Amino acid sequence: MSNTTIDSDLQEKLSKYGLSFEEYELMKLQLGKDSGKGSGKEPNQVEWAVYSALWSEHCSYKSSKVHLKKFACQKDEKTDLFDEGAGVVDLGQGEKITFKMESHNHPSFIEPFQGAATGVGGILRDIFSMGARPIGLANYLCFGDPKADRMSDLVDGVVRGLTHYGNCVGVPTLQGQTHFHEKYNGNILVNAFALGLIAKPEKLMTSIPQKSGLDILYAGAKTGRDGVHGASMASQSFDDDGPAQKTTVQIGDPYYEKCLIEACLEVMNAGLIHAVQDMGAAGVTSSSFEMAAKSGFGLDIHLDKVPLRDQTMGPEEILLSESQERMLFMVEPENVKAIQKIFAKWDLDAEVLGTVTDHQKVRLFFKNELLSEIDPHKLTEEAPAYNRPFDAFETKAFDKSSEFGSTKKLDEVYSQLPAVSRKWIYDQFDQRVGASTEKDCRFSIGVQRLPSGRSVGIALGCDPSLTDACPVWGSRLTYLVPSFSLAIKGFKTLALTDCLNFGNPQKTKVMGQFASSVDQLASLSHGFGTPVISGNVSLYNETDNENVPPTPAVGLVGLKSDQTHSIPEDCFQKSGDQVYLMSLDLCRYDYELKTGQAQVTKLTDGSVTYDIKALKLFSQFCLENSIHWSSSQVVEKLGLEYALSQSARKSRLSLKWSEEFKDQNVENKTKLKLGFMQILVSVKQQNLKSFTDAFEQFKKDHLEDESLKHLSLIQLGEVHESDEYVSLTGESYNATELTKKHETSWRKHFERLE
Amino acid sequence: MEASFPTNATSKNKRVGVLRFLGTNCDLDTLKAFTALGCEARYLWWEDHFDPEDFDYLVLPGGFSHGDYLRSGAFAAQAPVCESLMKAIDQGVPTLGICNGFQILCELGALPGALVSNTSGRFKDFWVRVKSNSGATYKMPIAHGDGRYFLPPSQIDKLDTISWLTYEANPNGSFQDLAGVKNEKSTVFGLMPHPERAFHDWMGSSDGKKLLEEFLGV
Repeated sequence: MSNTTIDSDLQEKLSKYGLSFEEYELMKLQLGKDSGKGSGKEPNQVEWAVYSALWSEHCSYKSSKVHLKKFACQKDEKTDLFDEGAGVVDLGQGEKITFKMESHNHPSFIEPFQGAATGVGGILRDIFSMGARPIGLANYLCFGDPKADRMSDLVDGVVRGLTHYGNCVGVPTLQGQTHFHEKYNGNILVNAFALGLIAKPEKLMTSIPQKSGLDILYAGAKTGRDGVHGASMASQSFDDDGPAQKTTVQIGDPYYEKCLIEACLEVMNAGLIHAVQDMGAAGVTSSSFEMAAKSGFGLDIHLDKVPLRDQTMGPEEILLSESQERMLFMVEPENVKAIQKIFAKWDLDAEVLGTVTDHQKVRLFFKNELLSEIDPHKLTEEAPAYNRPFDAFETKAFDKSSEFGSTKKLDEVYSQLPAVSRKWIYDQFDQRVGASTEKDCRFSIGVQRLPSGRSVGIALGCDPSLTDACPVWGSRLTYLVPSFSLAIKGFKTLALTDCLNFGNPQKTKVMGQFASSVDQLASLSHGFGTPVISGNVSLYNETDNENVPPTPAVGLVGLKSDQTHSIPEDCFQKSGDQVYLMSLDLCRYDYELKTGQAQVTKLTDGSVTYDIKALKLFSQFCLENSIHWSSSQVVEKLGLEYALSQSARKSRLSLKWSEEFKDQNVENKTKLKLGFMQILVSVKQQNLKSFTDAFEQFKKDHLEDESLKHLSLIQLGEVHESDEYVSLTGESYNATELTKKHETSWRKHFERLE
Repeated sequence: MEASFPTNATSKNKRVGVLRFLGTNCDLDTLKAFTALGCEARYLWWEDHFDPEDFDYLVLPGGFSHGDYLRSGAFAAQAPVCESLMKAIDQGVPTLGICNGFQILCELGALPGALVSNTSGRFKDFWVRVKSNSGATYKMPIAHGDGRYFLPPSQIDKLDTISWLTYEANPNGSFQDLAGVKNEKSTVFGLMPHPERAFHDWMGSSDGKKLLEEFLGV
């Protein structure tokens, strides 16, 4: 800390703009160099606003970028990872996809409807600003205890916001996950995922202008006062004033977004656009400075040319407004008229704000007065970056005496939140607009048919009760569960996006959780050859010193090219099919049923060595053998008996335990207790031999492998026609009653939600 | 049983006009479905007029036309393209409204009754079974917030002639379980379920394709 005393005037500014004193000094130095004053220059109001936005945690990733470098990823011929909002995966046959997941946590806690709605709007613009047509949405949500203050209204508001925006804009919601944990009582998480397709007539766009002399075109809805200072709000912890910060939340209109999608794709496909960037957090400011910094050119921007809803708005407000449904284009001057004509057809504005210049500065004007002249490179490249101190985490070693957790009584499990059907939520999403939905939110992965006839699958991951119990194992499973979920349905994982939601990075424990998660995800991404093509970090999810559990949510996308075999279902299909469990004792855990939750009480190493190479081979085996199965599922936290009963109650077929298995020794049965990775499959009768032969061959091929040596294939029994699921210990459960419990228990937790 | 659809269309290259408003979001899906059925399908822009003679069929797709502000379909019904549409309907051009298209046809008075907010007050998307007055059943998905069909008491005597499709299990509180209605001349049809989303077996059902084929008189 410098010796300078901070006067109260400066203190007020620092807290208004969310900068530290050291950051203020650095800003002065940068501005001084720009204007030839080596000693530094006092920022004016516009400069305060620009630095505040671009140096916020939200825009600058200042606490996280040291770690995010670990994601730096292998470039191959299939993935194009240039410096854009998201990478692109080339699927061949003229089809490319791009996808991304982004958080909208802070605004959704303040104003759940608009917060969640604009989260969807923002992620969609990330996708279509690349020239892609959005073809699928998904969401990852974390709420607190349903009994907590405002929680029922937050759930209602978020779901209404997501559905209102997604349904109206006409992009199907294909998948979702909703978790409940009391550590989200003061900070809920709303992560929105979008998938886009670039196939004729769509063209891949860039955000980097290649020359000067281009016109800068503002396109879309008009700018209003909503969302001013949104980026800095989202970079701070809440105390007790969270819901009072409503004016910092943006207001969205999905109708304008739908028009904007069509207008943008029309001008892009017509070849009228040179470069484009969406206006997200910190609006005009971040989009223009980022485009300038990446290109090496300068920009002259006349802020008074921005179309306004309220003509009394000043330059600072215009710069920081996060009004929705807007884009920034760089275009050849002769194309402006044609673009304006297309935008007018879609009832949207398109105004020239200025030009791309050679002077390498961003110069902001208002009514011809030069307000500031900033070097965009220094601002972004020499932005503060912190290697914050952290506590490292390790896994708890395998202890031979440690028992596997045992599965709980099913009728108890079925009324707990983790087991309650999310039907109330997903029934409100339009899951089929686009007329290409193959598998909707009811299925373990979302599936969309491509024009080429191939299918893409979406799987989300991260169980916060596991990451809370052990950030290392929790983060590993965050990747492994969705990755296997795709493989067992016949989908080859192409790439992943992450949305890292954590607490206050200035706390060493939280920073340690963050570092562990990034380490684990990065090594899995490298080991599996799954590039991280996009990502987002949300820190300061903290209220009154209570931090959210580490929540590194991920979205994986996979491809199924061969349509001769149908996708294995989630539940049993046919009487006579044989039921098998593939089990690798990677880690063990136990949980308690407490206040509606399944709280994981311990999570430790299993008996086999954690080896990513072996896991990749196992996953490859699943992918290749999925053609033999009529159903498949990854056994998750609630255990095998729950997985079996789910499969049985949905199909009204059940498992007849094999006598042989029942008579087996205790050691084998122990494998049925709580642990990862367990894959449950039912094998088509005609494929039984090919499958078991393939398994034996696989084991033979990898005899030397320390982990795969312990991979076991256990025959549990046979599918038979029955309305009753009988557990291994002999309790009988009626399918209709389990379904009733599964579908009606929601009401017990959320009495007020119709 | 009397067939629901007119059978006067015999032209091989059936010319289908798909109305497109700002905010329509099933435009491409609907265009693709009719193209797949061998029709010459093209869009009709909301600001333009058209000549009814140029089309054998007209289709109003689903979506949120003009944001569905004020009331579902209210602004769309005021669009210039609807002046031509009403002329075409007067001349007996077979017309189909799907979801928001059904709402617009009711706003225009081309079909009796109105569609109001689901009794749950929430948007609902799931598969339903509907039965037509000719006895055929179809599995198709619904996706709407304002799908509760309402027929004013003054028009109840028309019920038998306008009834077309009924839900097996009423999902939204519709009067008499109605999922789709037609005009008295059986030239204008409106339904809430989406046939274009039940076009291939991999979608979950291909009954919607069957329904569209019947509309085209195939």
